[in-house]
Amino acid sequence: MTTASGKATADVAATAISALTRKRHLRREMLYRLCAMPAILVTVCITLVPMGLLLWLSLQDQREGGFSLRYYIATLTDSFFLRTLGTTLSIALGVTVVSIILAMPLAYLLARKTLLRNIIMPVISVPRMLPFVVVGYAMILLMAPVTGVLIQALNALGIVDGPLFFLFDWPGQAIAFGYSGIVVATAVLSGVLMSVDRQLEQAAVSMGASPLRAFGEITLPLAVPGIIAASALIFTTIITAYSVPVILNGRVPYMISIIIASNLLTLQQHHLAYAQAIIVTVIAISVTVAAQMVLARYGRRV
Amino acid sequence: MPRGLTRFFTNLGWTVYVAAIVTWLLFPLALILLSSFQGTISITTDVTNLNLSAYEKIPDRYWNSLWFTIQISVVATVAALLVSVPAAWAMVRGKLAERRFLSNVVLLPDVVPHIILGIALLTLYMQVGLAKTWLGMLLAMLSLSLAMGLRFTEALLEGLPEEYELAAETMGANKLQALWLILMPLMAPGLATAALFIFISNMVTFELLFFISGPNASPIAVRLFSDIIDRGIMPHSVAMASIMIYISIAFYAIVALTLGPKYLAGSNVSRKG
Repeated sequence: MTTASGKATADVAATAISALTRKRHLRREMLYRLCAMPAILVTVCITLVPMGLLLWLSLQDQREGGFSLRYYIATLTDSFFLRTLGTTLSIALGVTVVSIILAMPLAYLLARKTLLRNIIMPVISVPRMLPFVVVGYAMILLMAPVTGVLIQALNALGIVDGPLFFLFDWPGQAIAFGYSGIVVATAVLSGVLMSVDRQLEQAAVSMGASPLRAFGEITLPLAVPGIIAASALIFTTIITAYSVPVILNGRVPYMISIIIASNLLTLQQHHLAYAQAIIVTVIAISVTVAAQMVLARYGRRV
Repeated sequence: MPRGLTRFFTNLGWTVYVAAIVTWLLFPLALILLSSFQGTISITTDVTNLNLSAYEKIPDRYWNSLWFTIQISVVATVAALLVSVPAAWAMVRGKLAERRFLSNVVLLPDVVPHIILGIALLTLYMQVGLAKTWLGMLLAMLSLSLAMGLRFTEALLEGLPEEYELAAETMGANKLQALWLILMPLMAPGLATAALFIFISNMVTFELLFFISGPNASPIAVRLFSDIIDRGIMPHSVAMASIMIYISIAFYAIVALTLGPKYLAGSNVSRKG
């Protein structure tokens, strides 16, 4: 009898304790949710709601109201828009590839030579924390058709005669984007190359590979995640850049952001601009997500 | 002999290449500085009559913009850290089932292109009357700072073992004491770094703020941009661009001196706009 009642008491106590821990656990979870709440709320209010509104309005007819896909259809059948999108994407792609190729040896050198890194890295990082507008100013001082220092020097050397107008055309924009592309690529790539074990390369060299071959077959494949990350960053920055395309613009817009902005600000075709903005967002986010997916896959394989 | 010669040419090649890239990156900025001290935009090689006339001619609206940018950058940075520290703590320590989802929501402003987020905010602000206002700019900047702040603080907390807090609690501290007396001092240096990086990237934000800025709420990057469109390039704008370069140099000097140059490599800060 006594053992039975004792067992019953123990059971009751056990349920009480487990109820208490469960309650405590729930309270803890509640506390954690409460702590995360402000951050979520802020982001929902100033990112998700505006983006949702943008999407919603892009599907509304501007004059009559009501659901309409006409802005998407109009955009995707507009040869001018598509041509500009094409030039935007090709400039972005070209600049990304060139920046990575030009920055790769420098990043490698900085990753391997500590002294050089400590001197050069802070110095070449300065452009990274400048408004892009300032880079535009620099490009104008360097390459403006008549007063640019480079143009004056070329004239003085007798290589060209008279002004050169390439700055206010697509080459000028590509050069300006390449300028900041190299800065970003150097920083990202040297960070990744620093984490690649140097001994792997030395082993390859000691087994008879030339340093170049060791780099190409050992170091470069291990640096691919960095190359992908840097490329995605540079590419998405370029396709949505606004300041340099406007400052260095010629008669023909080369960048998609200019078309969107002029639809929004001067032509008063707001909903058309919203639809185009959504299309650009989809492109930019797909690039980022694709890069993430490749990176995840790469991580599994290695 | 040929081997020595090869090595000589390899080293020469490297030196020329590094010098070329570094020159290409620094020469345009040097031109801005030189032009600002010559007080003219047609630069000459004459360095005898350097003067400060361009700096003296910087109009008040530039100084107001700079001051405005500093103000909202500081407020946004502080607010972002105040919000993101508890959020990061909850996400790292809480082991909530929906953690990945929550953290991705907060990081969203980083993935959406700034110019698009700017346009989206304009549509929302026009409905609620926040366009071209101080508060509107601050909130826009906050969304960005918050994403950066969460990335920094999450990484920071993941690097700190939970045992310290648990030990304090075992010894009789309550949760709040454990957080305030143990976790906060451990996080402080990292938070200072995060604040510095968030502040400087707020200072240079352009695309996000361009569409929602107005005459009375105009960050310095937008002011420099609109002036070059309206008036062309002017000596006083070049002087203000130089001031932005000094700010960037000061930032990197602080980072290099306090944290060491290794912090500069890597992609922890995305450079957009």
